[in-house]
Amino acid sequence: MTPQKELKLAYSLTIILLVVGVISYAAAPAKTPDEPVRMMFKVVAGNVLFDHKTHTVETGYGLACIDCHHHRAEDEEEEPFLACGYCHQIPKEGEALPQSCVECHEPDEIEDTEMIKRADAFHSQCEECHKDAGIGPVKDEERCAWCHFMM
Amino acid sequence: MLNQKKLIVSHAPFCHDGSSISVRSYHMMIAALPAVLFGFFQYGINAVGVVALSISFAIIWELAINKVTKRSISIGDGNTALIGLLFAMLLPATSPWWLVITGTFVAVVIGKHIFGGIGGNPFNPVLIGLAILMVSWKDFFDFDQALLNYDLGFAMVYPLAAVKHLGTPGIEAFSTGGLLLGQQSGGIGATFGLGLILGGIYLIVRGFIRWEISISFLAGIFITALLFNLNNPTLHAGPLFHLFTGYTLIGAFFLASEDSSSPVNFIPMLIYGAGAGIMTVLVRNLGSYVDGVVFAILLMNLINPIVDKIRPKALGKVV
Repeated sequence: MTPQKELKLAYSLTIILLVVGVISYAAAPAKTPDEPVRMMFKVVAGNVLFDHKTHTVETGYGLACIDCHHHRAEDEEEEPFLACGYCHQIPKEGEALPQSCVECHEPDEIEDTEMIKRADAFHSQCEECHKDAGIGPVKDEERCAWCHFMM
Repeated sequence: MLNQKKLIVSHAPFCHDGSSISVRSYHMMIAALPAVLFGFFQYGINAVGVVALSISFAIIWELAINKVTKRSISIGDGNTALIGLLFAMLLPATSPWWLVITGTFVAVVIGKHIFGGIGGNPFNPVLIGLAILMVSWKDFFDFDQALLNYDLGFAMVYPLAAVKHLGTPGIEAFSTGGLLLGQQSGGIGATFGLGLILGGIYLIVRGFIRWEISISFLAGIFITALLFNLNNPTLHAGPLFHLFTGYTLIGAFFLASEDSSSPVNFIPMLIYGAGAGIMTVLVRNLGSYVDGVVFAILLMNLINPIVDKIRPKALGKVV
């Protein structure tokens, strides 16, 4: 190849790939499915990689949505499931309940006046279920590292 | 006896055999193609976007620096396109556009042109780009986090992260054959072991890379990983796992063998390759980073000029 031809090849490669690159980025915005596949909970004690799909599919744990997303009553079947952190959050200063609760309920309708934090909700929910199913850390010292990946 | 002719060199004009830097660059890109196409197949249009943008911007940055420094246009040799391709192969498919553009800038301008362009770079430009980005935005290089929404039908946890945090019980889902066939999460062009090995063999046979570096790199990883594994089989993965996961294979055939940052003599090449292999496993098993290939090769780039001083003694030299 002569230097002129090499240069021509490089220029055409640049233009074609730039167009392809821009179109690909424009056509494929980061996809976020309605039902998550895996989720990463970022916490100081080490991130937790939660495999949502393994918990829901029949070949995995085969749990029903309502087993974990316990907020929906029987007459509210059309309502979408909410993310855990939507309710399980620390109330703002001066408030007994997070804003998300009083959006739908009157404060006196709710029996528990305090919403447990997301971290506490996860710890009790995950640990109890895994203990019942016999899947999880056997020894006490493995308890944290079984879920939390310390970076 | 005295008239015996051993070497006959005719006088000019000579005939050029057609070899050039551009031929070498484009052949290396062709050798990398199976692994890249496999990445396209797995991650779809996101991967196409990353690779296309990376190659085009690597060339654009080189063109820009040629203009700024008033040097002759050097994009025709294909070296910068190769840098762009290799850089994209190491990235997760979900890398944002600005990460690709910044990374190729660091690789081409800081990794290569600040040192005088092709042949003058003391470090592998691709790895300089990647290392600076990894340190700056480490969340984007956490493959578990970057590939959250992909479900490709196999265990999608990043194998090296799993073994680092859970020990060998965490990697029971991976088989050696599956890893070779790309059944693992990772960089766009870094997971398809078989494709990378075939590309590497092609480059070695054609003489574009030196087998001494690739083989000693792999041997260094194999032996060090084996020793760790024998010492504590529940904590450290076996040697084959380390050979076929992370950036090992792309590192052995496409990164460690980069010419201006690696030695040229036989013994130095072995030391360089083996050193990078040993360092890789040390970082993986003892260090805080999940994969050690990037920093191990950069570290060996650093000692490349010193190890290359080991050379045969001149005939007749006494001391």
